[in-house]
Amino acid sequence: MRHSFIDRFANLDSPLHALDARTKLLGFAALIVAILLIPQGRDFIFFSYFFFIAIFAGISQIPLGFIVRRALTILPFIILATLAAPWRGIAGLSTLFLRAILCLIVVIVLTNTTRFVELLRGLRGLGCPQVLASNLGFLYRYLFVLTEEFMQMRQARDCRRVGRAPFRKELAIMGSMLGTLLVRSFEHAERMYKAMLSRGYAGEFPVANPHRFSWPDLVFLLAITLFVWTTFFGFPLPRI
Amino acid sequence: MSEYAVRITRLNYTYPDGCKALDGIDLDVRIGERVGIVGPSGAGKSTLLLHLNGVLMGTGLVRIMGLTLEQKNLQQIRRQVGLVFQDPNDQLFCPTVYEDISFGPMNLGIPAQEIPSRVGKSLLDAGLDQSMGSRTSHHLSLGERKRVALASVLAMDPAILAMDEPMSNLDPRNRRHLIELIAGLPATLILATHEMELVVALCQRTVVMDRGKIWADGSTPDLLGNAELMNSHGLEVPLSLKKN
Repeated sequence: MRHSFIDRFANLDSPLHALDARTKLLGFAALIVAILLIPQGRDFIFFSYFFFIAIFAGISQIPLGFIVRRALTILPFIILATLAAPWRGIAGLSTLFLRAILCLIVVIVLTNTTRFVELLRGLRGLGCPQVLASNLGFLYRYLFVLTEEFMQMRQARDCRRVGRAPFRKELAIMGSMLGTLLVRSFEHAERMYKAMLSRGYAGEFPVANPHRFSWPDLVFLLAITLFVWTTFFGFPLPRI
Repeated sequence: MSEYAVRITRLNYTYPDGCKALDGIDLDVRIGERVGIVGPSGAGKSTLLLHLNGVLMGTGLVRIMGLTLEQKNLQQIRRQVGLVFQDPNDQLFCPTVYEDISFGPMNLGIPAQEIPSRVGKSLLDAGLDQSMGSRTSHHLSLGERKRVALASVLAMDPAILAMDEPMSNLDPRNRRHLIELIAGLPATLILATHEMELVVALCQRTVVMDRGKIWADGSTPDLLGNAELMNSHGLEVPLSLKKN
């Protein structure tokens, strides 16, 4: 079975990968908030953000094709969300679209420069409750369990059927498959949890080499702060 | 220091659905001993193993390396008991083999700089290549996954190794390799299985379980060679012990 991890390129070795997870969470969250606050019709600011984020994407060494493909996967949802607000007019819709796509690229860069467990550790470090962080971790892990169980069931179904059944029958088959999937994945998850407990799991995922806050983190945060400040309030030159 | 690795007294366990899985189990295992727990499916073998490191907690007394199994001792006990599950897919849940093997030691608070050498040694002990670390567990063959599951437990350096059906679904070559591997491990071994030849090969002592109870406890050749006992519990005398 082939799985696609959301942190697929998190093992690369770039300056962005080396930063502390908390720094990236803070910096990229600030960028997202700033993108959401860009006033409508200020296309120049949108493009400046696009280039700024593109610089991070370039530094991260994540393949451009991957970022584009990931962004395209979610494009239909962005278009749907955009069309759901027709009263905004063409300018409003294009702003909404630009905001969504820019935020998405920021998230892609963040999740592919930080391993998921480090991201969770970062969230914990920033005050996120352990229950929430643990649940996010389980959701991520059990998504694979669910996918694998479903793929196996689909293979078993395909092996025993000839041609397609009528639509209603297909629907009934899919319904019973989903029910079975729920029970099977629940049991599988229970067994995995027992295996985790037996290896000392006590509610928190360990991280091999937790990063420490250092001067590159400071440079990263300063760069983002300076950029966001400049795009909203102009370049902060001292007045003489 | 206790001379017993495991001391179980009057252990009972009932699953939430009302199924009584363990019924008054008494079992002592000395340090360094190799014990096979045999019995038909549903005998309670796996449930008993899950009690050895507190994944399940029934009523009764369980002592591991002199420590009573209770909440405050759980971390120390889990450091002592390595549990290898029947299905390696249940045991391997991290994106890479390296992370799966390092999961246990990191939970135990082993210093970060010690982790790579532990992972490397466990891979070696489990008969796996060092390059295996970067691979995804789900892409390995069943034999490889079984070994990785074993390596993930060996990395915790357990004093007691509890294995649940370690040979299930393995081809003859992989079975032979795994038997050689387990035979060479220094830990106290508790092996739950219904494969009699495996017990003959690895364990001096055998315990027969059925319907949640222990029915016989003695030397492996005596018990497994007893056709009447074996038949009465849905088991068969292994070929190597059959009298012509």
